[in-house]
Amino acid sequence: MLPLALVHPRATRPGWLDRVPDDRTVQPVVETALTTHAPDAFAGLLVDMHIDQRLFAGHRTWIEAFLAAGGTIVFCGLLAYPFLPPLGRFEPLARRSRAALEVTIAAPEHPLFAGVAAADLTARKGVAGFYGRGQVRPPPGAEVLTRLDGGRVPLDWVWHPPMGGRLLMHPGNNLWMYAGDETSAARLTPQLLRWADGMVPA
Amino acid sequence: MTASTIALLDGGTSYHHFALTDPMVRDRAEAIVRLRGLRAADLRGVDTVVVSCRSNPDLLADAAPVLTGILERGDRLVVMGETEPGTWLPAVRETPLPTNFWWWLEPGADLGLTVRAPDHPLFGHIDLAAATWHYHGMFAVPDGAVSLIDCAEGGSILYEDRVSWPGTLIVTSLDPIYHHGSFFMPAASRFLDGFMAWLADG
Repeated sequence: MLPLALVHPRATRPGWLDRVPDDRTVQPVVETALTTHAPDAFAGLLVDMHIDQRLFAGHRTWIEAFLAAGGTIVFCGLLAYPFLPPLGRFEPLARRSRAALEVTIAAPEHPLFAGVAAADLTARKGVAGFYGRGQVRPPPGAEVLTRLDGGRVPLDWVWHPPMGGRLLMHPGNNLWMYAGDETSAARLTPQLLRWADGMVPA
Repeated sequence: MTASTIALLDGGTSYHHFALTDPMVRDRAEAIVRLRGLRAADLRGVDTVVVSCRSNPDLLADAAPVLTGILERGDRLVVMGETEPGTWLPAVRETPLPTNFWWWLEPGADLGLTVRAPDHPLFGHIDLAAATWHYHGMFAVPDGAVSLIDCAEGGSILYEDRVSWPGTLIVTSLDPIYHHGSFFMPAASRFLDGFMAWLADG
């Protein structure tokens, strides 16, 4: 099984990798070294919310080759530098009320969200907004997994780009930030790692 | 007082993009300059350089000679929060603190910040409430420098040093550019508005 790559900004090892289940391999790859790897070296890329997105978007040829090889991209953070057409920039919610920040799970049967309560995504210790505060518009044909603002705004979605592979867009804080939570949100990290290493040829 | 010409350093992150291109910030600056590959020539013609919140400390270590050059030439360097200045800027002593994101959930809670220099012109643009969300560390203020805001742990979270260099160094552990550009934390946006207005004043 190919490893997953955690694409992150620093030459230090992120602490949450200590929580990766034993049957999965997540290899930290500093953002400047990504394209030194073959585009078929990883099953998936976990893209950290703190990366230099300008740098990442400059790697479009490599990214397209990675997807064409059947890879999965899990993109966390607010997209400011679209790296693939037809992606557009993140758009914040027009209304930033507590009600608008309420997360609903639109695809409860999806393996990412098995056993995850939407309320545990909406709020951490009573604070709403970590999980999502706006949207990146899903391309035609994308499957919307979660929504904000009473279902009006798409949040997480999965898209199968024409060249192959999959893109999971999460326009919020890192999905793995919940790994140590004492709520059902902690299930996201292991479920994400299991989902992300399935290869999807075109 | 003459108006400042400000360069804002851009690390390519989503939150730098969204905060630095917001007219509230952009219209008060002369230039947005890419941090990756920064050269002294990129900062000609400005008298204030802002190291944006959460800029990658690995990149700042690379840029340290250019940034200390700003101070050596008599200009002003502003170092925002979560940039680990103690690791790349001489004579800055930072103590990281565990961040209490949840302090305000207790009824009547107080984050414990104190204004130490109420006559400082910054406080013509912000009040303490605008600086009150959370902070990520504190600084030991060098002899002759002035703390503007202290935290409950006894150190400074915002100080101005006009004695250690020919120029002026401003250091804070607040990260309003990150929060404003993440659409997350209204107090941080108010702080950034007032802070930029003060910097632009000269």
